[in-house]
Amino acid sequence: MDNYVAIQKRVPVVATFSMGSERVICTPVKMRYNGQEIIFTELGLRHPTSKGKRMVHVFDVTDGQTDYRLEFDAASLRWELISAWEVPS
Amino acid sequence: MNLSLNTEEPNIMHIDLNSCFATVEQQARPHLRGKPLGITNRISPHCCMIALSYEAKAHGAKVGMSYPEAKALAPGLVVLETDPPKYHYAYQKLAAIMKSYSPNITMKSIDEGIIDFHGTRQAIHRRSLESIGYEIKQRLKDELGSWMRCNIGIAPNRFLAKLAAGLHKPDGMDRIDSTNLRDIYDSLKLTDLPGIAEHYQARLNASGIFTPLEFLEATSDTLRRFVFHSVVGEDWYRRLRGWEADDAKTNLGIVGRQFVMDTRTNDEAIILPRLHYLCQTTGMKLRFNGVSARGVIVWAGFANGEGWYQRKMFKTTFYTDQEIYRRALLLFNTRPKHMKIASLGITCYQLNPSTRSQVSLLDTINKAEWLTQAVDTINDRYGTFTVTYANALEGKKVVKQKIPFGGTKYFELLLKRA
Repeated sequence: MDNYVAIQKRVPVVATFSMGSERVICTPVKMRYNGQEIIFTELGLRHPTSKGKRMVHVFDVTDGQTDYRLEFDAASLRWELISAWEVPS
Repeated sequence: MNLSLNTEEPNIMHIDLNSCFATVEQQARPHLRGKPLGITNRISPHCCMIALSYEAKAHGAKVGMSYPEAKALAPGLVVLETDPPKYHYAYQKLAAIMKSYSPNITMKSIDEGIIDFHGTRQAIHRRSLESIGYEIKQRLKDELGSWMRCNIGIAPNRFLAKLAAGLHKPDGMDRIDSTNLRDIYDSLKLTDLPGIAEHYQARLNASGIFTPLEFLEATSDTLRRFVFHSVVGEDWYRRLRGWEADDAKTNLGIVGRQFVMDTRTNDEAIILPRLHYLCQTTGMKLRFNGVSARGVIVWAGFANGEGWYQRKMFKTTFYTDQEIYRRALLLFNTRPKHMKIASLGITCYQLNPSTRSQVSLLDTINKAEWLTQAVDTINDRYGTFTVTYANALEGKKVVKQKIPFGGTKYFELLLKRA
């Protein structure tokens, strides 16, 4: 966990919303952070979790260099970048 | 008892996610795939590996090893802390997939479960269980991710299904029935059988049983009277032959929590917040199960290797955090106070269905119960520990949530606390 950085900042995210077999599937495509556009190359896992009564969707994504953890608050419709983790070589 | 092998067509399927926590983390972080990965509850220089990826296991690292031990065997080992909501999501997905084939499923732990197909074969058009097994493997990949794998075992009873699921890891699928049972046993050691570890092996060896086949040939009387000295021997006689011996329902007997101290000390300013937090989470478990307790055990392991415990059965039942802590403290104050504590735990026993809905004649009791209900309601809405005891705050910071390996009955509760 040497390359782990906690961030916890709101970020603008472009995401697609497509209809799955049971529900709408949200997939983050890119975000802007520190003035840079970061394009995601793979979505590892998405999973929901609750914070009290709030539902938050967690997305583990990567741009090929760094893994990011994004959270999408289903009530406020806000994205938050929780952490980044540079991939060890 | 004299039973032949069970010749029934297999109707039990055991599904086991491979190295569950590590695999889910590798699914979430593509760059960890194919690399040695360890999962621990709290990262520290000597933390314990509670899960390892297959790549780490291939180097000889084993679950239960300390970080330095595992790292020495698996160079480049990456260690992550547990992330329960992720594993719960995988668990929920697995359970949902299993339920789509039969209403009779049992989740044995966070990463394994059983589908009982008795009575439901018609509904699945009498498809073979192997065909359903391959479908489940594919659905797991489709719904969770391409890195997810599972072992599947098919057999006439739970024991053989679990044995079959462990024959070809990772991503295997095997069937054991009366036609190949002896061949399978012939290829295994006693300790390869689920439920047989060194202790039972020694008992069996003492009775002249050294292989699974000899275990199978032993009579029910031998196993009951000379090996296990109880009805446990008859259960083994049945399960080895493919007859069901493991479908009994168990009742909740005790509820508790324990903690290995982050600092070995006899300083109450450090110990009591941790004890208070343990009492608080024990109270949450009691209320989650809708039970009250009458007895409390408080125990401590000391830095010099000695142990201490005190237990007491009370006249009245209790389930509020205040009452648990008050009673635990009564007992805890009788410990040898000069001893430095290395581990600490509390257990509530003599559990009965809760009488929370009944109003007491004593107003002080009612107030304590209403306060607990109000706090629980607030915490359910805004997140657990939004309202908590000031004295337990320090404990909350250091006592980390654990992953329940043995059962899944507290999972919903744990998620609230995640």
